[in-house]
Amino acid sequence: MAFDYPAPFLQLARELRRLPGIGPRSAERIALWLLSNKDARPGQLSAALSTAETAIRPCSRCGFFATDDLCEICLQPARGGREICVVELATDILPLEKTGSFRGLYHALGGRLAPLDHIGPAQLRIESLQKRLLTENPVEIILALSADVEGEATTNYLVEILEPLGIPLTRIAHGLPAGGGLEHADQITLLRALSGRRPVAER
Amino acid sequence: MLTDLRLRDFRCFDALEIFPGPGRTFVLGENAQGKTSILEAICVLLRLQSPRTTATAETIRFGRDRFCLDGHFSEVHLRLHYSSEGREMFLDSKPQARTEDYLDVARVAWFANTDLELVRGGGSGRRRYLDFLGIQCLPGYRKSLRAYEKALRSRNALLKDNRPRREIEAFDPPLIEAGDFLLGARRRLCEALAPLAESACREISGGDDALEISCRSGAEGPLAEALTHTRAEEMRLRQTHVGPHRDDLKLLLNGRDAAGFASEGQQRGIALALKLAQARHLEAVQNRAPILLLDDIFGELDPVRRNRLLASLPPHSQTIITTTFLDWADRQPQDIAFRLVGGRLENA
Repeated sequence: MAFDYPAPFLQLARELRRLPGIGPRSAERIALWLLSNKDARPGQLSAALSTAETAIRPCSRCGFFATDDLCEICLQPARGGREICVVELATDILPLEKTGSFRGLYHALGGRLAPLDHIGPAQLRIESLQKRLLTENPVEIILALSADVEGEATTNYLVEILEPLGIPLTRIAHGLPAGGGLEHADQITLLRALSGRRPVAER
Repeated sequence: MLTDLRLRDFRCFDALEIFPGPGRTFVLGENAQGKTSILEAICVLLRLQSPRTTATAETIRFGRDRFCLDGHFSEVHLRLHYSSEGREMFLDSKPQARTEDYLDVARVAWFANTDLELVRGGGSGRRRYLDFLGIQCLPGYRKSLRAYEKALRSRNALLKDNRPRREIEAFDPPLIEAGDFLLGARRRLCEALAPLAESACREISGGDDALEISCRSGAEGPLAEALTHTRAEEMRLRQTHVGPHRDDLKLLLNGRDAAGFASEGQQRGIALALKLAQARHLEAVQNRAPILLLDDIFGELDPVRRNRLLASLPPHSQTIITTTFLDWADRQPQDIAFRLVGGRLENA
């Protein structure tokens, strides 16, 4: 009979294997490290996991990571009544936040329209966005979704249903990346950059 | 030019190394030795796609979980790792995130027996033929093709499920943007290919056959208008009815439909002419001949056509040819020949 690791070890490796980007070999290696390396702290890891699992939840207003009903961003009083920036995922919020130039609130849709993955408007947080717009009266809605097919489609869909509300509606610019030369841009990027051009005097 | 190539766990090979010559390299061998897989490996390394399959994972050796290919093309070191979890590309040992940069290194023209399907088969094969060329010579083609396919499949899924109109129309702008690009690009490719294919066909047939190719567009005029005009049709059929996914290439030999009226020999000649036109167009736009991969296409041709074809190949291109026998070719001093036996290459 062939010997294998004891059952609790295999159980651990099985759980690790479910993580993104971890194959069977890596799972076994991580499990071995966790159980035999003197620098490993499996107890702390497991405690941190359970704490995070119970403490972290999506903000009931914008969908960002929160420990309370509302997230840190939504709790800042000065941010209300300004713009609402709509993004696909909660993880899109921090990069925008790091630019330091946006002072309004966010709304994460939780994905984008993806018929091939059976994700339609009902699977996204579009209804809660509409409700927010009625109560919060933002001065502007900024659509900051990706510039690929599904992101574009989601933007178009949102424009269609939000336009009748009469709130100024904008979408983030797309075109050349900062520091990029024209010769490296593909035709569609250039087309968009051209059609999205603006007067030089605008400041 | 490709100076060396190494395969690991690719198709039937655990490991193989080959050093092609600058001119013609013959790979000889019985059937089922893996000759085609060597050409396929070159195509996958240089173009990240196999002409034999759309599922690259199929090319991983049975029982293994990844393959590695590496080689030097014009002094650039290309390396490709492919596993079920994805692919990693390296140029001169530096990982590449942008496929476009990697694909910019080399151009390929592929000739195979199955090219006969270009004449006899359905439109999808002829669209793939145009796409294989478009991706290699038009910036933005690959991106637009992928975007179009995604938008089309998404849109068709919504039509099939009878979703509200505004959900379907949300996909119209990306569909139209990529679609108009493709429609225009394919029309231009056809125009450029037509005279090249015509003269190549004359060379192969010895001047008898006049080949006329033209583009049958999947949409008249701008795609946005065509979509509006076919709205009723698409609601009834529950799929997108116009667009570049219905593009086709019309082939006439001596004024008559080539699929229906040309003989088998003529049809093989047309298929070769189409591929030659591709190679010549690549040479014209790149100012450098593509590497030519000829997979066992000589067996079906009579000796006169074989030698006419060899004479028609772009003269300065590196050419790698698989064949079961070699007694027909007028060997030139700089030719290189290998024999593939039991998974090993020997000088022949």
